[in-house]
Amino acid sequence: MWVTESILGELVLLAGQVAWWIFDDTSDGSRTPHLLVGALWLVVAVAYSAVMPQWRYRVHRWETTPTAVYTQRGWLSQERRIAPISRIQTVDLSRGPLSQLFRLASVTVTTASAAGPLRIEGLDVEDARRLVDELTEATVAETGDAT
Amino acid sequence: MSGSAPYGDPATAQALPADLHTPWRRLDPRMLLIHPVQEVIRFLPALVGAVIVGQSQDSGGQWFELAVLAVAVGVGVLRWATTRFRIEADQIELRKGLVTKQLIATPADRVRTVDVTAPIFHRLLGLARVEIGTAGTSRERLVLDALPLAQARRMREELIHRRKVGVTGDLPAPVGAPVADLPPPLNPAGEQVGEQVGEQGGTETQLLRFDPRWMLFAPLTLTGVFSALAIFSFANQFVQRYLERTDLGGTVDTLGQHPIWLDVAAGVVGLVVLVSALAVIGYALQFWGFRLTRHSGGTLHVTRGLITTRETSIEERRLRGVELGQPLGLRVAHGARLQAITTGLSRKERDRGSSWLAPPAPRAVVDAVAAQVVDDREALTAELTPHGPVARRRRWTRALWPALLVGAAGWGLVVWLDLPIWVGLVATLPLLTVPPLANDRYAGLGHHLSAHHLVVQQGTFVRRRDVLARDGVIGWRVHQSFFQRRVGLAHVLATTAAGKQSYTAYDVPLDAGVALALAVDPELLGPFLARASGEREEKPLDPTPRIGA
Repeated sequence: MWVTESILGELVLLAGQVAWWIFDDTSDGSRTPHLLVGALWLVVAVAYSAVMPQWRYRVHRWETTPTAVYTQRGWLSQERRIAPISRIQTVDLSRGPLSQLFRLASVTVTTASAAGPLRIEGLDVEDARRLVDELTEATVAETGDAT
Repeated sequence: MSGSAPYGDPATAQALPADLHTPWRRLDPRMLLIHPVQEVIRFLPALVGAVIVGQSQDSGGQWFELAVLAVAVGVGVLRWATTRFRIEADQIELRKGLVTKQLIATPADRVRTVDVTAPIFHRLLGLARVEIGTAGTSRERLVLDALPLAQARRMREELIHRRKVGVTGDLPAPVGAPVADLPPPLNPAGEQVGEQVGEQGGTETQLLRFDPRWMLFAPLTLTGVFSALAIFSFANQFVQRYLERTDLGGTVDTLGQHPIWLDVAAGVVGLVVLVSALAVIGYALQFWGFRLTRHSGGTLHVTRGLITTRETSIEERRLRGVELGQPLGLRVAHGARLQAITTGLSRKERDRGSSWLAPPAPRAVVDAVAAQVVDDREALTAELTPHGPVARRRRWTRALWPALLVGAAGWGLVVWLDLPIWVGLVATLPLLTVPPLANDRYAGLGHHLSAHHLVVQQGTFVRRRDVLARDGVIGWRVHQSFFQRRVGLAHVLATTAAGKQSYTAYDVPLDAGVALALAVDPELLGPFLARASGEREEKPLDPTPRIGA
């Protein structure tokens, strides 16, 4: 999924490159700057698509225990988040068009703090549903206003 | 109760038998005077348009103006006529809107803060606006605009100090704050408490009283200078027009005869004086008459403001700590300021200053207030644990790189574009600021863990010591950039529902940061740490030790 996302993002950039090519009035017939930028950009893009998703996949992980939820995400910058079940306020399951295509889903766990939503991306749909159910049950079982 | 059926959400309407409902109350009819004025101000662009139309058309224009005015007044009247509120035993309900009807109901035990604000028009008529802040990050706040001042204050008492055990008894106390700490109900009769207590109810202890001399600190704070600049730029246009029309323009011209450095010096001095004066005015507008009191019912009251007076009540039980801030200027002048970390204040209100516990004032005064608000001397005064040599090195590199880039760019311009040599010299100046900047930034970094509070400190231009209650922490984030991972540092963020939502220990050595989090919340992190050590082999791409390793 991340590969597809990165390629889609690069397609947008490609559109920019093409637009530049078309609307470049100042060109005195020379194509060199276009080819140069295009080639450079292509190399970077391919490297990005090849490396980033792999790296990201290795970093990303999540875990729940009876008391807490833990996520780890990022690639160059990495972030680990942890939140106790007792402080969970909402559990969301979301599926964008791409993740629907791949039969995946994201689960977002928010706490009373605006700073700390935990996002678990790219779960199998069934796993995600099960996770949401578990978390919801655990949260309901907890009493407290979680602030 | 006949009126509630069409509006009431069935759940709230059935929550109580009908005869237990208190009657709906209206806002003060004097708002009929204020609303139209406010509406007129809001419609001002349309009015100006109407005037222009009136002038160009000669006939019929007057009618158009009148129509706009009538609509403005009508909207004001309708707003008053359609807004009603009531305070039930367990919740506050606000009903408003003509076209889109809204019923907002808030459980009384979720009330965290109550703001009583009186802008200028309200003050003239003896009115005040009541804003009720509730738990969580809800955007929908209850605003009652407006009530007579006395009634507004009484209502605040009703809302904040009326604590019936029946209501609060099952309210889950935040970890570590036993329910027994609740203030006793002021009056067993419950409903009548608000009426009887009035303003004199309970006892108030004064913690801080405004001293006009503090206004001298105004020019030293960044916000003071910014507000001054805002006023200045606004006034500037006016002044320029004035200069054009009067002889003053002549005097400004004669300045041209002096050497240029004199002009510049005079300009700078003039600007400093002007900005300082404006900053002082801004400070006075915001903080004049600042008074912090503790109510025996368990709240802190802040009263302040010169023209618009604001009264904020913060429930002490929900106070999660304080931020002791020292912008650079204040630090040099041994001043400081204090803000509360609490739930129930929206971001907008914090920006407006509702969380101030002490305005910029002498450090000793602010420290004394902090010590009275937070009963934890250690957290406020203890030496902080520094973040170590690696963090110091990172401060240096981060201060060095921009300065080097600017310097290199400056000399590059000199060499390539034949600019005069002083451009390069000026560009080198930032390098001189690197050592003091880096050293001071490192000196500002620190964290500490006291019996009840987590303390983090950082910053040079605004140094802030955040004292956050341990039981207010509701989660952790450990953030590492690529470079941080290479040197084994991390930003450790404690997330909370109060204040800025998260408080960060910057560039802590990873194991120290994790140890800090573990110490605050052993049950939470323990299980993960036990497992994490086994994970290392799975992650060849990550050279730094895992959590807690």
